[in-house]
Amino acid sequence: MPPLIFWGYELSEETELFLGEELAGVTRPGRYLGIEVNAYRKPFRSADVTCVLVYPDAYEIGMSHLGLSILYEEINERDDAMADRAYLPWVDMQESLERRGIRLFGLESRVPLGEFDLVGITLQHELTYANVARVLGLAGIPLTAAERGEGVPLVIGGGPGAFNPEPVAELFDLLVLGEGEEVLHELIDAVKGWKSTERRERGALLRACAAIPGVYVPSLYSVHYRPDGAIESIEAERGAPMPVRKRRLTDLDRWRHPRRPVIPLVEPVHDRCSLEIFRGCTRGCRFCQAGMIYRPVRERAEESLRAWAWELVENTGCDEISLSSLNSADYTRILSLSGGLASEMGEKHVAVSLPSLRTDTFSVELAARLRRVKRTGLTFAPEVASPRLRATVNKVVSDEDLLSAVSAAYREGWRKIKLYFMVGLPGESEEDVEEICALVRRIMREGAHGGPAKGLRLSVSVSTFVPKSHTPLQWARQMSLPEITRRHFILKDGLRMRGVNLRWHTREMSYLEGVLSRGDRRLLPAVLAASRQGCLDSWSEFFSWERWLGALEAAGLDPSWYVERERPRSETLPWDHLHAGVDRDFLWEEYEKAVRGETTPDCRFSECSECGACSPPRAQLRLAGEAAP
Amino acid sequence: MLKYRKEGDASFLSHREAMRAMERALRRSGLPLDFSEGFSPRLRMSFSPALPLGVAAEAEYLEVGVAGEVDPDEAREKLNLALPAGLRVSEVLPVPPNMPKLSRWARFGLFRVEDGGETLYLLLALSGEGQGRLKDAVVALAQRGMAAERPMLTRVGLYASPDEVFEDVRGKVIIFDGRTGELSEIEEEPDGLD
Repeated sequence: MPPLIFWGYELSEETELFLGEELAGVTRPGRYLGIEVNAYRKPFRSADVTCVLVYPDAYEIGMSHLGLSILYEEINERDDAMADRAYLPWVDMQESLERRGIRLFGLESRVPLGEFDLVGITLQHELTYANVARVLGLAGIPLTAAERGEGVPLVIGGGPGAFNPEPVAELFDLLVLGEGEEVLHELIDAVKGWKSTERRERGALLRACAAIPGVYVPSLYSVHYRPDGAIESIEAERGAPMPVRKRRLTDLDRWRHPRRPVIPLVEPVHDRCSLEIFRGCTRGCRFCQAGMIYRPVRERAEESLRAWAWELVENTGCDEISLSSLNSADYTRILSLSGGLASEMGEKHVAVSLPSLRTDTFSVELAARLRRVKRTGLTFAPEVASPRLRATVNKVVSDEDLLSAVSAAYREGWRKIKLYFMVGLPGESEEDVEEICALVRRIMREGAHGGPAKGLRLSVSVSTFVPKSHTPLQWARQMSLPEITRRHFILKDGLRMRGVNLRWHTREMSYLEGVLSRGDRRLLPAVLAASRQGCLDSWSEFFSWERWLGALEAAGLDPSWYVERERPRSETLPWDHLHAGVDRDFLWEEYEKAVRGETTPDCRFSECSECGACSPPRAQLRLAGEAAP
Repeated sequence: MLKYRKEGDASFLSHREAMRAMERALRRSGLPLDFSEGFSPRLRMSFSPALPLGVAAEAEYLEVGVAGEVDPDEAREKLNLALPAGLRVSEVLPVPPNMPKLSRWARFGLFRVEDGGETLYLLLALSGEGQGRLKDAVVALAQRGMAAERPMLTRVGLYASPDEVFEDVRGKVIIFDGRTGELSEIEEEPDGLD
């Protein structure tokens, strides 16, 4: 890991030559230039600690990600550290790199990833796990932590996937649980200290990092299995924390990044600036991992958000500011914040938008004030249609709520509305799925204040329920492929009508997501094999269920064991040594209530549900001010 | 009107990407810009004809509407602070009221072709009669042994008619006819003033 000094030779030289010859031959070469406005482009050799932040997917997706842009600024504002960026190159560029024997490089410094001190990779969802192996392979970094020795970077994982990273845990030297801002600085300090020691012993560094709260070093934990395949025990080496507890910021007003986000050269999937107005959500939807692991709700002050929004506009020249969070209409002062910003920014021709809406009239009226959203259409996520399942998932939205929201949208002039539903929930019958059809038909019939919604185009998007770790439904069974197929066909038959367009997620992709989301360490050989065979699952054209099946079989694993099995309360789950803030007992009680069809209210508007995220109860909950009228 | 260069890494930005970068820089510059009316106001801009990926340019143009007085030097500086490396505004010029639209006059592109040997200039109609593709012209040059297969290409100017090129260059200028695929040398009309 010490910087190698080659006199008269720059680490970026090979990359420079390579780019000069290959850029003209690849699609969208703008992805690989690293000359974006607001990029720091700090000299590699000037920093005591060198970091590269990797989004293991295409540039256009990675550049839309808020989390890495926060960490990028946090690091680069330090005098003693630098952060570069890298993404998974498109397949043509991957091929060029391999053909020419060039290692994947940081976009700005053009230095190969393997020369950095820290390589941070975000795990946003399971279908990028094979991409992570691909990134490491292209970088020429030994794939597993166990194979890495002196002079090889520390590979760090983070993001929601870090809460059950087990299928890929051994690719990482360490993972960070929870919000990364503070812990990242502590890690950089630890590495800096270690680099100044005489014997830079890798094991000593890892043990020092494991002592930092929120840091999980997989190699310090061993997993033992029972003959039936379930986990017997997870044991920590002496000195390693058990469980590892997630990190979380309390006073978000003290953390204001990004302020000068890098402006993408190639148009990203979400071409706008994000203003993160709060973190956490306590609506308590029982399938939602984000709603559990980022608790409690911590809102930022309205005044500071307004000033920050202007700073973003001035620094980026963006034409849209998105008020982002898990459920932006829930922000206590949302009317005043969005209304105020929209009128101030309108003069500068900057639109203010909300990424998601609640299913109610309030949200529609809110969106109507932010005119710009009109062009794209509105999206609601009722998720389920039968009252019983609404109680199961703890998302209590009535047919009337949805109808009045659609009516309000129709009255405001929207003609394109998207509805998200989910199938495959525990206890869901085929009749429950037919209720989705009935509800959609009712919207078309009565969506314009009791009358037929002429000219309304409904896009019905159906996902498959995939149980996620650290949620109440983490013990539940995920449905088999034939069961999901039947549900898709019920929808297809029931929704053959003018104005309704039905789409569903690829069943096999959701099934694979299910294998990985609750998977254990035995899956790693299958992930590596799939990656070697070219599976890049987040790109549907490079997703191959056949290859995955082959890889799982070769590893001696039965995917249905991971996916279709309900777990008993007593079973040790692969992530039981990782604590996301919400207690296991609370999650189990919520699971039992889901089965019984009982709901749990939101602690912002009701009593504390004792989930364990605050200590003492409600102590870390932060609201921005008085409730909006 | 802005006259700008697109060089180095920035020559690998597509036309669309360069337009995006320019729009962002204009918005950041704080200049009084002219937006269209309506629900989603757009900046009124028009650009030089698209440039193939990997081709550098020394004199591209961008017309943008302004809603007030603009100091050319100050505007140039502000824009250059807000642009990615390789995109550089060289001049900010007021557009005379009787000047035809950019898309009307920028019909011919002049390219410098360098391959280590003698530098030559290639003229290409970018629209209308005799319109040709740069790729085809380069292939034709290589076939006739006039240039290497992958020379370095730079668009050095845009013109309304072929004879205007001699205001900027001295040297061999080859014109490519997109209909026939033929190359021919053009010469400056002697006007007796030289």
